[in-house]
Amino acid sequence: MGMEEKIIGACPQDCPDTCSMIITKSDGIVTGVRGNPDHPFTRGRLCAKVNNYQDRVNSTDRILYPLRRTGLKGTAAFERIGWDEALDEIASRWKAIIGTHGAKAILPYSYLGTQGILNGLTVGDAFFNKLGATISERTFCDSGACTAYTMTIGHSAGVDPESFVHSRYILLWACNTLTTNSHHWPFIEEARKRGAKVVVIDPYRSRTARQADLHVPIRPGTDGALALGIIHILFRDGLVDTDYVAQHTVGADELAERAQDYPPERVAAITGLSVDLIAELAHGLSESQPSVIRIGVAIERQSGGGQAVRAIACIPALVGSWRRPGGGLLQLPLWAFPVNWGTFLRPDFIEPEPRVLNQWKLGAALTGEMALDPPIQSLMVYNANPMVMSPEQARIAEGLLREDLFTVVSEQFMTDTARYADIVLPATTQVEQEDIMFSWGHMYLSYNNRAIDPIGEAVPNTELFRRLAKTMGFEDPSFYRSDAEQIADAMLWDAPQMQGITLERLKREGYARLNLPSADEYAPHANGHFATPSGKCEFYSSMAADGNFVLGLFRQGYDGQQSGEPIDPLPHYIPPQESAESNPDLAARYPLNLITPKSHAFLSSTYGNLPHQRRQAGDQSVTLHPDDAARFGIAASDRVKIWNDRGAFEAVAQISPDIRQGVIVAPVGYWPSLNGGQATVHAITSSRYADLGKAPTFSDNLVAVERC
Amino acid sequence: MAYVVTDNCVDCRFTKCVEVCPVQCFHVDERMVYIDPDGCIDCAGCVPECPVGAIDDEYNLPDDKRAWIEINRDRAAVLPRLTGGMEPLPGAQQRKAELGL
Ligand code: SF4
Repeated sequence: MGMEEKIIGACPQDCPDTCSMIITKSDGIVTGVRGNPDHPFTRGRLCAKVNNYQDRVNSTDRILYPLRRTGLKGTAAFERIGWDEALDEIASRWKAIIGTHGAKAILPYSYLGTQGILNGLTVGDAFFNKLGATISERTFCDSGACTAYTMTIGHSAGVDPESFVHSRYILLWACNTLTTNSHHWPFIEEARKRGAKVVVIDPYRSRTARQADLHVPIRPGTDGALALGIIHILFRDGLVDTDYVAQHTVGADELAERAQDYPPERVAAITGLSVDLIAELAHGLSESQPSVIRIGVAIERQSGGGQAVRAIACIPALVGSWRRPGGGLLQLPLWAFPVNWGTFLRPDFIEPEPRVLNQWKLGAALTGEMALDPPIQSLMVYNANPMVMSPEQARIAEGLLREDLFTVVSEQFMTDTARYADIVLPATTQVEQEDIMFSWGHMYLSYNNRAIDPIGEAVPNTELFRRLAKTMGFEDPSFYRSDAEQIADAMLWDAPQMQGITLERLKREGYARLNLPSADEYAPHANGHFATPSGKCEFYSSMAADGNFVLGLFRQGYDGQQSGEPIDPLPHYIPPQESAESNPDLAARYPLNLITPKSHAFLSSTYGNLPHQRRQAGDQSVTLHPDDAARFGIAASDRVKIWNDRGAFEAVAQISPDIRQGVIVAPVGYWPSLNGGQATVHAITSSRYADLGKAPTFSDNLVAVERC
Repeated sequence: MAYVVTDNCVDCRFTKCVEVCPVQCFHVDERMVYIDPDGCIDCAGCVPECPVGAIDDEYNLPDDKRAWIEINRDRAAVLPRLTGGMEPLPGAQQRKAELGL
């Protein structure tokens, strides 16, 4: 055996933690990974998804060569071909489609299957903008919360997650920290040792809620009402920091008046919580300073998710918690990173009248239900697996079966989406590529050193798009920048946050804290300075006047053609579309609310095929309250069918008092091809948007359950 | 669904693992430590810390060590939780040497 060598990398997954990793290799083969013990936030730990990343890299199931379909769509019947052949076929098909239908008939579909600044969210944007393809509006994650947040406090990094050690009252709202943000937990524990109280708001007693001092088992989709109920009590009981509000906010009087509509008795009836509990939250947030709220992505996945975030984002200013380190709101520290997005997005390439298509509408777009002109004739999927992670699973499958649809998928594995491709292109894993990484869960810029050469003929996404640009005859030299050149362009190196950070240091150490005040001192809004039009925290939002919008970052840099539905400038409660209260007729047929959290062992659909993670996750499960189980005659371990008008999937029943009666929980990420019944959770979810930012409504579902 | 402490810990009890555990899921008796499988979040932080290689992922355990899965669950349920490191047991270094480590 050759010499063992260690390389510093960074986890590529769409997870807030962006762990610094140490890769071990021997004779050119990755033999193991572990967390980097030097990293101040991730501290030597990884997680259930990534602990055995070497098995992902070395899996015999990897796609290592370009493939061409030989059998029926969806059957994964392929033959190996060369890269030149694959590219020639793509070019000739695309040129023919452009000739007949125009480039808008081509649709890119991607998200954050890999998260590096080079290979992640925006890697194909310049290419598809130049091609003139339909613009993909990607509102997978935090788009609704981002719109709400932008309207209220602006693009703020918010509280440094490390500052939580100074917090006295920590409210984890719709966030299962121990599964989806686990490296944040030690900072919360440390605060608790220093006397902080930890409260978790979640419809079910998640593993995080089990560790909390107080669990608030809210009815799904009623978070906006709870936030407004808290605001009501803050005003009623004189718990508002009037000095802070006077200096740094806009619209306090209007908000106070709006909050009149949400007396605790009404809020208790909506949320299923007691009046006392609602008052306890309001008093805790105000009286235990600094108090902090950490919101999870789940909060937006409801019909009123955006306005819920609007209301929540008002609370820290009302109670003045922004005054001190460890006080305020934590949503998306991504905004602290001075990424040079423009160099990857290239909105200047976009033609004057492009077409924008939201990714939740994939099924309707492919099947023709949307009557698009021109229709989608080609789909290119990279960094994504819509058959598992997008709604209306059966409709997507139906669309992907279309013989006249030319589908290209770049992948590491034969996913349930890749099975339908005409051409599959082999993609590298993180150890085979170089990247520079932001984080949306801490303040460290990370560097992923390439550990080994690409295996087989796999290529990083950057190389994929260099090859496609060449094939399509693009001349702009920016398409041919090497990875090293792109890394040099990736950051605004002169920005104050980057002072003292050099590329050499990043490569050597693997990470660097942004040049911000230390976590013991960082209080970004102690003196206001909100990045809103008024510079204040806008309870009454001036941006509401322009109507609903999605951030350009989620739309290939395009800011035009926003949907612009009217937005109430004040936070308000929008009930779920599918609940017993809002839709009793539907609830008569489908009596249970299904919520769809992330699995502990999968990262969205990634790892849903790997043996180790599958053993850990078990089969697709659904958890019911004992009373609901009794009502529907279901015993633990029964195979059950869950369905509504949109579709059905099968799962193994688990029974637990940790879930509210009337609510059932089925984690996402399971692959239909590996789950009996050939369907998983997204068979029953809808493509309806939440109120803001076109967030999905994946936890706004009524379903019925019965034994198979 | 958890990490498991196995026999190499017996009479060693270095407790380096306990110092890095983010969820404080180790429990202790006179001879060794145990992981509460319901508290463990699978971060694997403890594995490289153990000087005698006593900790592994439940799914990596060879057949002759699988009994430790139940032992950890049962013992963790009745024993006190350990929130910080302890002095290794007398003889721990010697036992480590005997294990060839
Ligand atoms: S998935 Fe998240 S927690 Fe796990 S190793 Fe990657 S960044 Fe860390």
